[in-house]
Amino acid sequence: MKISNGVYFAREAAKSFSRNRLLSFATVSTVTICILILGMAVLLTMNAGLFMNRLESDVQMIAFLDKSLNQRQINAARDKIKEIEGIKSVEFISRDKSLEQLQETYGREYDLKTTLGSNPLPHTFKIEAHNPQEVAQIAQQVDKIAGVYKVNYGQGVVERLFQVTRWVRIISIAFIVVLAAGAVFLIATTTRLSVFARRKEIYLMKLIGATDWFIRWPFFIEGIFLGVAGSLLAVLLLGLGYQALLQNIGSMVMVTLISDPVLLGQIYLSLLATGAILGVLGTYISLNRFLDV
Amino acid sequence: MLVQFYNVSKIYPNGVKALDDISLKIERGEFIFLMGQSGAGKSSLIKMLFREELPTRGQIFVASRSIVRMKRGDVPKLRRNMGIVFQDFKLLESKTVAENIAFAMKVVGASGREIKKRVPEVIDMVGLNGKEQSFPTELSGGEQQRVGIARALANHPLMLIADEPTGNLDMETSQGIMELLYDINRKGTTVIMATHARELVKQAHKRIITLDRGKIATDSPHGESLL
Repeated sequence: MKISNGVYFAREAAKSFSRNRLLSFATVSTVTICILILGMAVLLTMNAGLFMNRLESDVQMIAFLDKSLNQRQINAARDKIKEIEGIKSVEFISRDKSLEQLQETYGREYDLKTTLGSNPLPHTFKIEAHNPQEVAQIAQQVDKIAGVYKVNYGQGVVERLFQVTRWVRIISIAFIVVLAAGAVFLIATTTRLSVFARRKEIYLMKLIGATDWFIRWPFFIEGIFLGVAGSLLAVLLLGLGYQALLQNIGSMVMVTLISDPVLLGQIYLSLLATGAILGVLGTYISLNRFLDV
Repeated sequence: MLVQFYNVSKIYPNGVKALDDISLKIERGEFIFLMGQSGAGKSSLIKMLFREELPTRGQIFVASRSIVRMKRGDVPKLRRNMGIVFQDFKLLESKTVAENIAFAMKVVGASGREIKKRVPEVIDMVGLNGKEQSFPTELSGGEQQRVGIARALANHPLMLIADEPTGNLDMETSQGIMELLYDINRKGTTVIMATHARELVKQAHKRIITLDRGKIATDSPHGESLL
């Protein structure tokens, strides 16, 4: 692009902006609302994702061993488990340690050892999988290993959890896609009005021999400007709102929200870029029909 | 040879046959009147010259390049060789006379210096000195058409295409416009003009192509068909 042309494009864009002040205001407001909702949806989805990941990573297997096993047999069982694909870690927990842990859960008030007489608990392996989704299938394989008499992984509950998390993700993505499409449609409609008002000029430019890009640039600059202005406003509102939320809820024990400034910065920047892209996309859609001369 | 039509037909999607097997040649420097009643196919033929329409069948060459096979990206180059004059002038009302002409140069990428030099030249050529800063609405119909012609000339076209340029003007004003077009033609620009006005064409002794229901009815090199 030649510099003199760049100046011309920017001037034309500014002229059009000030000529259609009301329309420009409407477009900026539309983008602001869309990006604001989009931003809220993204933050909600990401926080939900974080929460789901935490739930999922808590999924682990406990393999109970036959009481009759000696140390050599226990080691052999451990080696066999480690051979299974997808295993992240295998931790041996002796029956004495298990009892200690149980004792801690119940408190020191009752001495379990004296109450029970002897230790009824078996030796166990605490097993973690690389991918929590594979737990059920890995558990089946562990169950078949000699010396293991039972594997526990919260059967049923885990499957339901995965089903829920999958649907939450699908619905969130669908929601975001629908919103983005709505924003593009609204911008396209607003730009179409501005293009329509200048359709004679565009037709004339085409017949004189202007290239499509020469005609597009001023509209694109205007579209990008409207998109960025709208999304900037939205990011500002979103940032202030989220910061307030972090300060009020961040201290609660059960809920942990995304608070990494780098990640949040990336989200805000992506929203700004999305505003610009929506502006360009909307302009492109409404302009092309008028360029076909 | 500047323009060649080979067996060109145009049928619109609604079934109307606008042109029916037209073949013709136009040399550089010619002045051509395109005549015929409304619906005879004049506008379709004119629009094909600058590729606003494509033929349904046949081939068209302008300056040895096929318009039919031309890529979309090459169309602006084709159009920069042509100046188009419209019946309704198509001036931008928010721009002055000088700005309307400068606009035509700007959109094809002319530099500020070229524009500053060329605009007064073409304004002088069409006899509108002193009206540079007037807006189109402050001008008479004849003056507006002179701006339209000045704009068409601004980019040094090989060919001036005028679709009913006097259609909205009275006889006296029309004659003034015709004198201007003859003058432009004498300086070497090919002129193709579609018109209804038999009175104007009669005195000209120029080549006249008459269309009738999409076919060439007559093609007389010195306008004999109207005598």
